[in-house]
Amino acid sequence: MKNLVNYIKAILLGIWNLLLGMKITMINFFRPKITEQYPENRGTQVMFERFRGELTMPHNANNEHKCTACGICQMNCPNGTITVISKQETDEATGKTKKVLDKYEYDLGSCIFCDLCVRSCPQDAIEWSQAFEHSVFTRSKLVEQLNHEGSKLAVKEKVTETK
Amino acid sequence: MFDFKVVTSWIDDLLRVQAGIPEFWTLAIEFVLVGVAILAAYAVLALVLIYVERKVCAFFQCRIGPNRVGKWGWLQTVADMIKILLKEIIHINKSDKFLFLVAPFFVIMGSILAFAAIPFGKGLHAIDFNIGIFYLLAVSSLGIIGILLAGWSSNNKYTLIGAMRSGAQLVSYELSAALALLTVVALSGSMQLSVIVEKQATVWNVFHGFAAIPACIAFVIYLIAGHAETNRGPFDLPEAESELTAGYHTEYSGITFGFYYLAEYMNMFIVAAIATTVFLGGWMPLHIPGWEAFNHVMDYIPSVVWFFGKAAMCVFFALWVRWTFPRLRIDQLLKFEWKILMPISLVNLLLMAFCIILF
Amino acid sequence: MDNIKEKILSLASDATFDEGSLLTVTVPSAQLRAVAEYLRKEEQFDYLQDLIGMDWGESLGVIYRLFSTAKNQQAILLKTSTSDRENPELFTVSDLWESANLYEREVYDFFGIKFINHPGMRRLFLRGNWEGFPLRKDYDMSSNPLTMENQSIEEMETVTTLNMSNEGLVNSSFQLFGEKEYIVNMGPQHPATHGVLHLRVSLEGETVNKIDPHFGYIHRGIEKMCEAYTYPQMLHLADRLDYLSGTMNRHAICLCVEKALQLEVPERAQYVRTILDELTRIASHLLGWGCMCMDMGSITAFVYGMRDREKIMDIFEESGGGRLMCNYSVIGGLSKDIHPNFLKRVREFIPYMRKMLKEYHILFTENPIARGRMRDIGFLTKEQAIAYGVTGPSGRASGWMNDVRKLEPYAAYDKIKFEPMMRTEGGTFERYIVRLDEVEESLRMLEQLVDGIPEGDFCAKTKAIIKLPEGEYFQRVENARGDFGVYISSKGDKNPYRVKFRSPCMTLVSALSPITCGEKIADLVMIGASLDYVIPCIDR
Repeated sequence: MKNLVNYIKAILLGIWNLLLGMKITMINFFRPKITEQYPENRGTQVMFERFRGELTMPHNANNEHKCTACGICQMNCPNGTITVISKQETDEATGKTKKVLDKYEYDLGSCIFCDLCVRSCPQDAIEWSQAFEHSVFTRSKLVEQLNHEGSKLAVKEKVTETK
Repeated sequence: MFDFKVVTSWIDDLLRVQAGIPEFWTLAIEFVLVGVAILAAYAVLALVLIYVERKVCAFFQCRIGPNRVGKWGWLQTVADMIKILLKEIIHINKSDKFLFLVAPFFVIMGSILAFAAIPFGKGLHAIDFNIGIFYLLAVSSLGIIGILLAGWSSNNKYTLIGAMRSGAQLVSYELSAALALLTVVALSGSMQLSVIVEKQATVWNVFHGFAAIPACIAFVIYLIAGHAETNRGPFDLPEAESELTAGYHTEYSGITFGFYYLAEYMNMFIVAAIATTVFLGGWMPLHIPGWEAFNHVMDYIPSVVWFFGKAAMCVFFALWVRWTFPRLRIDQLLKFEWKILMPISLVNLLLMAFCIILF
Repeated sequence: MDNIKEKILSLASDATFDEGSLLTVTVPSAQLRAVAEYLRKEEQFDYLQDLIGMDWGESLGVIYRLFSTAKNQQAILLKTSTSDRENPELFTVSDLWESANLYEREVYDFFGIKFINHPGMRRLFLRGNWEGFPLRKDYDMSSNPLTMENQSIEEMETVTTLNMSNEGLVNSSFQLFGEKEYIVNMGPQHPATHGVLHLRVSLEGETVNKIDPHFGYIHRGIEKMCEAYTYPQMLHLADRLDYLSGTMNRHAICLCVEKALQLEVPERAQYVRTILDELTRIASHLLGWGCMCMDMGSITAFVYGMRDREKIMDIFEESGGGRLMCNYSVIGGLSKDIHPNFLKRVREFIPYMRKMLKEYHILFTENPIARGRMRDIGFLTKEQAIAYGVTGPSGRASGWMNDVRKLEPYAAYDKIKFEPMMRTEGGTFERYIVRLDEVEESLRMLEQLVDGIPEGDFCAKTKAIIKLPEGEYFQRVENARGDFGVYISSKGDKNPYRVKFRSPCMTLVSALSPITCGEKIADLVMIGASLDYVIPCIDR
């Protein structure tokens, strides 16, 4: 008899717990939905400002960047994502030759977003943008040149101050 | 309440009397018409159900669900159907070719045959056997042959385990389902579906005085056993994706897979429809003895709406259960049937007999 | 300690000792077996934390890192070497510590050291026809061009053994599975393997008879890569070991390098690192919980777990800039100070998570189907857990107190109050519930950490090029899956000489076989999920 009572009790308790579980799913049925409506919310979606989307080299209004082509970023990069190609340029006024940036190549396809290049750059010439829509049709399009066409090194403000 | 007999007898009259077609050809045309109507209803209903399941499942999971094809994604299942029709049927090298192709037809035939015998509304009933319940039980277990064949002929270890599980499961749960239906047969005194429905004109079986207690228990048991038979969660062991990838239909593709897919959803609907017919008064409106005005208002709602409304409730309940509970293990599944459902069903049948004799 | 020394000297007269922070014993290879047996049986060094293969240039060898769980975590380092580079052979210790079984196969795979009397000597990660042994210093990098040929399964399962018998060393080989066994492949592409783990499962009906795990489908050679990297470059690989506890692994390497440099890390950085660790632990356990539910067929629970994990990912992204690969800790502290919203977000998250945790318990823990499935299966005793090296929540469910946060406190763990979550039965349900308990405990820790976080610097100054002083450095941390260890051997260069990561997941997989045999195939998936291993951590 006791067994029978326990048997029925166990069944009822089981049903009760199942119903409690169903209550939870029903509560969630009416909760606001968490899905991001991605292509539709393009206009309103804001990424966090520290998000590492893609390496960029900011240029000012005069088409000038801060990269001195020192190559520290290339040295720090663990998988050869960055190639800094420099050239020798003669300053016409002084007649001195110096190393300037020719091409700053960045292969998005092999970048692992480890942040070492940005952290190690002594000039703060490169930074992350929040762009995340990287898909292209061929792999070669992932290799980007970060310095703009015809850009040159910005004259440091610090230098002008000391003068 | 609108009686669909008006429509059917008008067509019959049109063919027989007005067009003067001989008896044999009239019947033949009518058969074809009924067949086409049932197949069309079957396909459309399956698509709607797939859409509903995906949407309801998404809502339970705090998601939105399909929302790309058409407004609220309502064309999604249509697109999926077109895709599945266009896909190649992949032939497995070392499979038993004939059985491999035949298996899905068994599954879909079983479910179409059961679908055809359901009374959808007043006068909307294709085949009304005097052993309707018996027929439904018989044809709904036809599908298991297809599943076993699929598991065997695919020549794959996952499918074989899935098919064996399915076999054990179906044989066991068939018993409880049949016993649950038997309680109502005892109450109504008939196996004919139309008679069972007519008997519930004043009050549904689940509200039937003292007999309501065994009838309610039988209703719950039928829902559980029915869903176990259709291999849907939490009884979806034959296709338990976490261990058997896709169970017995792992090797199927294209429309052959589509057959399993459609049949699964339609079987869910058929279980809901049988439960509606047998326990919830079928297409009968809700009547409360003594409330004449209320009953009169209820009569204005078409019978088809009543039937599909009740069936939809049962379907929603099935989805709710499926998206809440984890899956059982095979030994637990069998233990649950033989140690809990079976004894309760037997006691319940006895209880129903007492209720009928005493009250 | 002195009597241990004496005893070892009596067993191996050539043994040399080096007493630094922990006792290092170097014994000749001939006496290794005797010393190991003595340490295991008489001194109760029952936990082989790590077994590190080494190439010292002229000699090859093995370092055993042993702990005694009975004697208050006493540790000892046992070293042995053989100068035979052509055919190096050492005696196995896999009968003394079960966890050595896979470790020795790994050493064979990378260094070519054969272990005498090992029950199944074959490669662990690499293909059977791999040329050479890649972690040797004289390995030719071009000796294995990419091949697309399939390796036959028979070849993969041919086990060779090297046994010491009366006639000397005898080579023999056998097939792992019989011809008539019903073998089912679980993985590498399978919905329930949580990554590319390949389990070959021999079935008797639905019952599991024998399991043989195959690794290496995602092997990237991280340890070899580290040898060519500088220390800061090494860090990003840590995130890619066990990607679910990336910040903890990174923390371990940072701590190891900082210890070697004797660098003082600002307290603020230590607190933030601890908060990150605990958030990562919660995130990892949520995913583990969700996956376990999904493996039992409850997909809704999985989505709920992922939904709440998302909040943690947002916290990471806002401060660190990455979600899974947070890249936040660097050598010396943090890469940037925490975002102004950081503390507010964590404070908001704690009560939210508590509420959700209650729902999880009602939805799944109390569910009779779930309980029925988890109860009474997959028992791992405390002794087994120690022998197999099953650490972390899984080991604690068996009653083994192995929480590194308590045993060797690091960062801010000694400044806050917490209890390691323990159970004693060691079943699947206990492993499940310990994880959820840990989430709750982590929330309690977060509360204290968020309130106690000091102002100040977030990163100590380091040199532009970091060179570690010559020596060997160990560090272990408690990651979401257990005892994660880092071993760095430095020769004073800017690159490490040898790096070894102690993967807690590999020992978890090795324990899968003894606890699952005899259960149903549906339980195999679930027990695997309850151990909660992550494959890239094994494959490294």
